[in-house]
Amino acid sequence: MIIVKNLSYTYPKAKESTLKNLNFEIERGEIFGFLGPSGAGKSTTQKVLYKILHDFSGEISIQNKSLKDWGNDYYEKIGVGFELPNHYLKLTARENLQLFASFYQEKNLLDFNELFETFGLEADANKRVEEFSKGMKMRLNFIRAIMHSPEILFFDEPTAGLDPVNAQKIKRYITKLKTEGKTIFVTTHDMTTADELCDRVSFIAGGEIRLTEKPSVLKNAHGKNTVKAELENGLAAEFPVKDLGNNPNFLEFIKQGEILRINTQEASLEEVFIKITGTKLLG
Amino acid sequence: MKKLITVAVNDFRLVFRDNSLKIFIVLPLLILVFTRYAVPFIAGVYPVVQDYIAVILMLATMQGSTAFGFIYSMVLVDEKDTQVAKVYGILPVSKFWFTAFRLIPPFLLATLATFFLLLVEPFYGLPMISNLVYSALAGLVAPLMILSTAIIAKNKIEAMTWQKLFNIPLFLPVLSLFAPVPLSLVFAISPTFWAYQGLESLIEGKSFWFYMLIGFAHSVVLLTLLIKKLSKVHFK
Repeated sequence: MIIVKNLSYTYPKAKESTLKNLNFEIERGEIFGFLGPSGAGKSTTQKVLYKILHDFSGEISIQNKSLKDWGNDYYEKIGVGFELPNHYLKLTARENLQLFASFYQEKNLLDFNELFETFGLEADANKRVEEFSKGMKMRLNFIRAIMHSPEILFFDEPTAGLDPVNAQKIKRYITKLKTEGKTIFVTTHDMTTADELCDRVSFIAGGEIRLTEKPSVLKNAHGKNTVKAELENGLAAEFPVKDLGNNPNFLEFIKQGEILRINTQEASLEEVFIKITGTKLLG
Repeated sequence: MKKLITVAVNDFRLVFRDNSLKIFIVLPLLILVFTRYAVPFIAGVYPVVQDYIAVILMLATMQGSTAFGFIYSMVLVDEKDTQVAKVYGILPVSKFWFTAFRLIPPFLLATLATFFLLLVEPFYGLPMISNLVYSALAGLVAPLMILSTAIIAKNKIEAMTWQKLFNIPLFLPVLSLFAPVPLSLVFAISPTFWAYQGLESLIEGKSFWFYMLIGFAHSVVLLTLLIKKLSKVHFK
């Protein structure tokens, strides 16, 4: 669906390339994540893909057609969820949507009332956006990105500024879009979001992709193959996962008190990222 | 067409819901009242003013354009500042033509403001068609101001500063009426030069079509260049 080969991009007047020879593919019905710290090139990659930045080198193919050959009809096919809320503050949420919806084919538009209800904005649809909290504006951003039923979706930090309940709503909806066969490209520095949502992630740092893999594979490959058992009396010990049920040390250990918890010792996505790139995701 | 009407209605809404902008809508009306009633009164009290009535009228005809130019440039600058412009960048529409069509309402409003001002001015009684053609040329100053401001200014404060600066090349060419020919042509770079020269010819009963023709060509070239520039920078 999306094939990117040797993509490089240098901003005008910049000395160094922001994107260096990126290669990746995103299948139809896949959620693909770009995971990296601020300034790594995540948003720049998306801007190239939604044709805001033009003078790139390399090849990009979208639905078997070169990105450069797509005209304005490309924008019927894509939806973009921007990182920051960007709405007319003096207009109501409904007026904002109606304005931008007027540019899309009517047959593809989703029902606004249903969308407002899905994302908990039904009571605020006719309020001016200047009265909205950041979270409400972000949900309106999301609705605007999906309202014309695009086949390809770009989300830049889709859960930024959202409370956990609404972040979960957004993540569930993104997963629903995937089941409908949409191609979804998410950029984030939030490893939890990436871990929960993405089928595959690329680690990007300094404009380069360091690795592309399924989150579960990465966590297993870079974690310890052990479980950590903790007892209520404060005792804790690690045991190999292999043949755990027949491990006499483990069986002896859990007799020493009530079990508080037993956890596998797989690595977090952030730990893997730091290990691979030598860069922290936040800060 | 439907989408352009939606955008035009939206722009009106934005202006009317912003107290700092909607008061500027009455400015052309105040200028019209001033020109119709105050200028004849002042000229009656101070006869020396009568020698400058043509100049006063010329400057008055540009007020509608600068007022609507100011109002709409604030709308564009604000949408750039709040990053709403980025959303237009990913819509299935030609950025060039979208920008061009969006400038039609301020152009029409500025043209009408100038037309009515010349219609009610009590000094020269200009022919209707000539009035309309001149008003259209003066009206083009509004989109020129909007584009220039929206390209350069990053926020409303910067926009207000730039608007004040833009008034210099817009109003200074009136001095060309007092300068000999080679020197007066220095002002020909400004679109208002051709308008002022044309209006002076019209007042003096001479043919003004040459100035109008050059004026329109000059403004259309400037508009095309500025729309292209705005299309490149505004939606990123």
